[in-house]
Amino acid sequence: MGSFRSPKEFREVMERIFGMMDEDPDMGPRLRDADVPQRFEFEDLDLVVNIRAARPDEGRNLVWEWTDDVAWESKVRMTMSSETANRYFQGKENVAMAIARRRIKAGGDVKAALALMPITKPIFEHYRALVAAEYPHLAV
Amino acid sequence: MARGSQETTTLSLTEAARRAGATPATLRRWADQGVVPLANGRWTPAAAAHARIVARMRERGHSLEEIRAASDEGRLAFGYVEELLPALAPETAVPLEQAARRTGLEPALIERLLSSLGYDARAIQRIPPEDLALLQLAPQVLDAGFPLVALLQLMRVYGQALADIADAEVRLFHLYVHEPLMRDGVPGLEMAEQMEQLARGLLPLASPLMDRVHQRFLRHFVEQDMIGHMEAAFDGEIGDLGRLRIAIAFADLAGYTRLTEEVGEEEAVDAVERFVEAVQITLPDDARIVKTIGDEVMVVAPDAAALLDWAVGFQQLFTERPRPRIGIHAGDVLYREGDYYGREVNIAARVAARSAGGEVLATRPVAEQAGAHLELERIGEVRLKGFSESTELFLATPAHD
Repeated sequence: MGSFRSPKEFREVMERIFGMMDEDPDMGPRLRDADVPQRFEFEDLDLVVNIRAARPDEGRNLVWEWTDDVAWESKVRMTMSSETANRYFQGKENVAMAIARRRIKAGGDVKAALALMPITKPIFEHYRALVAAEYPHLAV
Repeated sequence: MARGSQETTTLSLTEAARRAGATPATLRRWADQGVVPLANGRWTPAAAAHARIVARMRERGHSLEEIRAASDEGRLAFGYVEELLPALAPETAVPLEQAARRTGLEPALIERLLSSLGYDARAIQRIPPEDLALLQLAPQVLDAGFPLVALLQLMRVYGQALADIADAEVRLFHLYVHEPLMRDGVPGLEMAEQMEQLARGLLPLASPLMDRVHQRFLRHFVEQDMIGHMEAAFDGEIGDLGRLRIAIAFADLAGYTRLTEEVGEEEAVDAVERFVEAVQITLPDDARIVKTIGDEVMVVAPDAAALLDWAVGFQQLFTERPRPRIGIHAGDVLYREGDYYGREVNIAARVAARSAGGEVLATRPVAEQAGAHLELERIGEVRLKGFSESTELFLATPAHD
């Protein structure tokens, strides 16, 4: 249990997670105000996503693109497997321990990533609900 | 008698005197001398409350001149908030012997229970009905099979925790509400009324908030206890009564004293707050902060390997200066009143004191449980302060690829 069926499903789920963070009335504005561009690399699937705070004229809180070919510099870089990402977003992967266990490699301004952790905590509950409702095979 | 609406209530001089615990003649004199400010010459609940504070200050030997100066500067205004709390009615309190008959508890046991809560000796000799109602619960708790030794510890934890909460409420209200009003030169009576209004709005929030947080943490710790017991049973680690086998970490900021000297107390305290918050948000679910003392944090966890992983990972995450230093040890400790005691706790504290900024030092019982993803470099046997035997220490870092 806890594995994505395909890279397509992984990307679809991540889109939903980023969408929930973007649209959440609490998380979205706080993540936008924190303004920490992040790069996530999911090495087992050879996927990269870059996410940043939206500009005022973009009408949203967060903007993300599944490529490294973006017009902004990431401030924090995280590398992990899709399985670790799934566990993390369900609140089952402690970041500090995952770094020690090399399940997450962190680079750049990790202090800024630390500041985002309490902001994104509510996503765990949202994601667990999503998994239970639509992706039960991802439950961990 | 009081008459009028809440905002414009006027009291008779007799009623004001009754509330203040002084004679009408004394109140009139205090008003004439400007020691008690009246609202357009009228006695209001706020003025009566002020008079009660004046009466108390007089009992403590302060001169009218001192009291008037304090009153003019608004320093007595906080006393009005006391009006919002349930009134004390000393005449309804019962002597200890009577309380013993009504509760079926021995007087000595009542004394132990109430002193465990932190009540002073005088409060124990005459017991108000509210405390009597609490004491009447004690036989139920004991009859249900909860041991007295545990009940007394629990009373002490409740007393200390609630005293800390009340102390923090008063101090923070004073620092962030009262003092700014004083700095703005708001007149004493107006200040008192502003504070009373604010406190009136906030006080009803405290009990539901504490109740909710208590329930939430209770659920969390019940779950952790259950998991801990399951794992301990698998490992064959059932300790003696009141003793637990746990891992203990102490973490603090290396060079904090120097930082305070260099950047000042406020900035240094901000650094400590960021550090403690970072510890809090990164800890594994089954670990918890037992206490913080200045810039030092004590953490306990059932799993030494997990706590060591957290410490190593935390050093990668918390890159701010001054750098944290962390020491970890594991062993049998005595659990009393919400805290952990014993030789093993002292060792953990001393190990942390031997580490440098950015380092994680661990003792052998911890190092032996470390996963292959960590490198444990033996740095030798050291004589920790206060211990005659030497302790073997290891420096924990992420293993190289």
